[in-house]
Formats: sequence, C-alpha cells, structure tokens
Amino acid sequence: MTALAICQTPFPALKDSDTVGDAARRMLEIAVWDLPVVDAAGRLIGMFKLTHLLGTLLPKAATIGGISDLAFVGDTLDYLRDRMRAVEDEPIRAYVAEADHVVHPETSPMEVALLLYRGERAVPVVDAGDHRLIGMVAAREVVGALLAKGGR
Amino acid sequence: MHGAGGPAGAALFGASAIWVATALFVLTYAVIMSDKLNRAIVALLGAGLLILTGIVDQKEAMAAVDWNTLGLLLGMMLIVNITRRSGLFQYVAIWSAKKVDASPWGIMLMMSIVTAVFSAFLDNVTTVLLTVPVTMLITEELKVKPYPYLFAQIFASNIGGTATLIGDPPNIMIGSATGLTFNDFAIHLTPVIIVVMAATMVPLYFVWGRHLHATDENRRHVMAFDERQAITDRRLLKQSLTVIAFVIAGFMLQRQTGIEPATVAIFGAAVLLLLDNLGKDSETQSKNVHGALSEAEWITLMFFLGLFILVFGIQKAGLIDMLAHALVTATSGNFQVTALAILWASAVLSAFIDNIPFVATMIPLIKAMAPTFGGDAALVPLWWALSLGACLGGNGTLIGASANLVVAGLAERAGTSFRFVEYLKVAFPLMLLSIVLSHVYLQLRYL
Repeated sequence: MTALAICQTPFPALKDSDTVGDAARRMLEIAVWDLPVVDAAGRLIGMFKLTHLLGTLLPKAATIGGISDLAFVGDTLDYLRDRMRAVEDEPIRAYVAEADHVVHPETSPMEVALLLYRGERAVPVVDAGDHRLIGMVAAREVVGALLAKGGR
Repeated sequence: MHGAGGPAGAALFGASAIWVATALFVLTYAVIMSDKLNRAIVALLGAGLLILTGIVDQKEAMAAVDWNTLGLLLGMMLIVNITRRSGLFQYVAIWSAKKVDASPWGIMLMMSIVTAVFSAFLDNVTTVLLTVPVTMLITEELKVKPYPYLFAQIFASNIGGTATLIGDPPNIMIGSATGLTFNDFAIHLTPVIIVVMAATMVPLYFVWGRHLHATDENRRHVMAFDERQAITDRRLLKQSLTVIAFVIAGFMLQRQTGIEPATVAIFGAAVLLLLDNLGKDSETQSKNVHGALSEAEWITLMFFLGLFILVFGIQKAGLIDMLAHALVTATSGNFQVTALAILWASAVLSAFIDNIPFVATMIPLIKAMAPTFGGDAALVPLWWALSLGACLGGNGTLIGASANLVVAGLAERAGTSFRFVEYLKVAFPLMLLSIVLSHVYLQLRYL
C-alpha cells in the first residue's frame, strides 16, 4: 500500500486569492483545521492553518516568546474579534505557511504514520515532479485503511 | 584568575611560546569577532590548542579557570530561571506601567527604571528577555512605536548592569579577580550609575519621549491589565523572593563571612531547587531540575571557561607583562592618565567588540601595573574605570553587547527593525555622554 492508496482525493483546496473570512468559514463547514492552498495549475503553494491564523490575531509580543500566558490582559474576546474583523477581507496569501512536510504518491504508509504521530494533523500528497496536489492524508485515512475489510 | 608562573618554556616548531600563544590568541579573538562560529566553540578550541601545543599544561589550564565567576553566573542563572516561572517579572512590569496611568512617556521612563533595577541583579540578557515582551505588548495596546522603548531598555539594561558586582559579567570577573565585594561595587559604582541613568533619560525625552501620544481608549486597555493575574505560582514567588533576599544578603556580607559570591549563588540555587521540588515525585523532580539546568546559558559558561585558559596562555607566555609595560610607558606612568585611558579605550572598544574577552585580557594587564602604581590597593580606581568603560561602552553600537542583539532579534520577530546605523546615530553620542559623566566622576572622586 502507498500514500496514494490511502489519501483522500480529490481534496478541497484553497486559492491564495480567497479571503481569510471565506477560507475560515469553509474550513468550519467541512470541519478541518488545515487546508492546502494551490495555484492556478493546481500546484501546492502551502497550507492555511486555523491555528496559524489565531497566532496572527494575538498580540505580536505574545508570539515571540517571553510571555508565558496572557491571563492579565482584559477584554480579550473583543480584542480578538476586532483583529479578526480587521483581517477577514484580506487574501489568505499573507497567511499561507510553507507545508512542514509533503509526501509523494509512492511514500509508504509507515512514513506517513510517523509524520502524523509526530504532530502533523494532515499531510499533503503531491506529485514528485510538478508538485501538483493529489490529495491529503490524515490519521483517520491511515487508520481507516488499516481497519478496512479485505486488507491484510 | 590565577597568577602565571613565568614565561613558558614550551616552543612549537622552533617558534617561541610568546609568538605561538599570541598567534592563537589573536586568531581566536578574530574568529569570535567575525561571528562565523559560535563563540563557545572557538574559545574551547583555542584553549585546547594552547594545551596541545604545550604552552599551558592541563593542571595549569584547570587552575586558570575562574570558578568563582562561573559559579556565580550559573547560580544566578538557575535562580532567575526558577523565579521567572512565578510571573514576578511580568507583574512588576505591568504594575509599573499602570503606576504612570499608562502615559507613553511615563511607561518609557518606568520600564527603563525597572529594566535597570532588574539588570543590576540579573544578567542583562535575562533582564531584556523578561521585560521586552511585556513592553512590546504594552506598546501594541497603546498603538505607539516600540522602537524608542526598546532602545531605552537596551541602554537601561547595560547601565543598570554596571551598578553591581552581579549585574554584568565584566563586573563578576573583576570582582572575582580582585576580591572587590558586592558592597564595594555598590558604594563605588551605583552612585555614578544613578546619575548616568537619569542623564540618559533626558535626551531620550527630547528625541522621542515628548512626541509619544496614545489615545485615552488605548491607555484604558493597558490600565485594564490585571498584574495580579500575571503571578502564576504564588508559592514559588514567595520561595524565590525569600531565597533572592538571602542571596543578596550573602553578597553584602561577603567581607564578614568570607564566603565567595559563587558559593552564595550556587547554594541559593540549590535551596530554591529544593523548595521547588519538596513533596514532588521523583519523575517530576528530575523534569524540574533538568529544565532548570538546561535553561542555563551554557554557551556563555563554556565561552568563559575557554577564555580563562586563553588569557592565561598569553599571560604565561609574557605578552600581558609586555602590554602592561607598553601602556604604562604610553601614559608616562601617570596614574590619572592611565585610569582615563582605560575608561575611554574600554568604552570605544567595547562598543565594537565583545566586552567579556576584552575585560578578561585587561584584568591581568591591570594587575601587572601594581608594582608601578604602588601595589594592588592603589589599582582600585583602575578597576572602576575598566568596569564603567567596558559595561557602558556596550551601549554604543548594536553589536556592543549581547542584550542589544537580543532586543533587536525580539523586535525583528515582532516586525520592528533595528538597523545598525539608525541605532548608532543616537546610541553612540548617548554612550559618550555616559563616559563623560564617568570621567568626571572618576576625576572628582579618585584622581
């Protein structure tokens, strides 16, 4: 079995011109934390992650280390809402992070399982030649494939 | 630092020991200054080569290491690393900002004072790592540019660090090498440092302070900060404050007890580790102790270790005596000229090179002047000149002190750029102002 056999494909992807608000709403609808971002040719540009978005909404000072918690800051919900409103119409290109890991169609499930075990929520499967996005693989795809009837 | 036993008899490939030691010393310092390799690696390699070439033997190398300096640094690092978990430093920073009703200039002044006071008792880098993120959070809430605040904190950390024996590594080295105590530093340096700090804030007000404005709404955001919420572990806070109080008392009573600051700091760290781990299972204890030890600045400690051996190498080879003689000749044996030359040369050089290796080299050099100036006791003003020059000089450029680079790095990560020339334009004249004040102080009090 290879990554191609277990990945979810086709997989919803974002364009870098999509707005932050639209992208986030779509992710909430389909209940995912991360979505791949592709260019017009379908090549992977990077990942748009809700946790990364939260990081950009926080005060910058809190993300550089040195502040262990923000319990002393008041009115944080309004603060975060204001920040969200300020960025929701911006294109997501400024918020796209390079994918920490990608795998190729022929990558072994063991390698995929190791990446997921080490903390990746979902790993893009891309063509080794042109970097075109083929699908995504998350823990549920791997476990689902292992439990599938007829498998060995 | 231990005394050298005289010129080394060793020679390598026919070259005399002084040439080999000098070449290794200059090469090591050049690589350290180039920033191409981690300074701990370079210093340890240089020290190793000194031993391998036979200029220093292994026994001498071990004896050359100033364990008082290393012990004091390590002990204070451990105490600070444990204390920071209590939230004490954030509490003080927020409390001070609210004390001035979150006024932009008031916060700049208060954060500078807090930084200077912390810096007098903690390592400068640790101080800015603890205070700068809070400053950036406050300036973000006030919607004012963080640069002036961070600039002021760089100055405050280097100025405050000069005030005490434990505030800056050069002072720790000087204290350990000379037997000058915590109280000696407090009596002789703290007064002039208070003046320098106050004098520095005046130009900062005219350059930036008077132009800083924040809306009432943004100031209310800062006033809404609850500093009590910053305290995350009240038990640890009480334990830390108690241990710090005893440690400082131990420093102050050094002359009466005869106990070196290194012993006081390491013992204090051990007591704090004990209190922090009482009643916890062995796995948690191991995790806590491992965490506290691993957060110590091992690069700095290993850098010092190598450096002490390197300096001993040139001292043993006779280079330090030659340089001391040359300096005394250049100043015609005039004590006043020598003291002021040390002050100004230390300041200008420390603005561009790391003051730690510089001071490590200057210590034996000044000690070698004792016969010329009438013994060790007569040298005391020279130590104050070296301390003031080396510590305050670090403010002159962005590369002058580790704290400057750490602040610049934090600022860059939050989107505020620190450029060398932009910093230099305000910092170098301000640094010169602090040296002029030190010059006047030395002249009036000692020369």
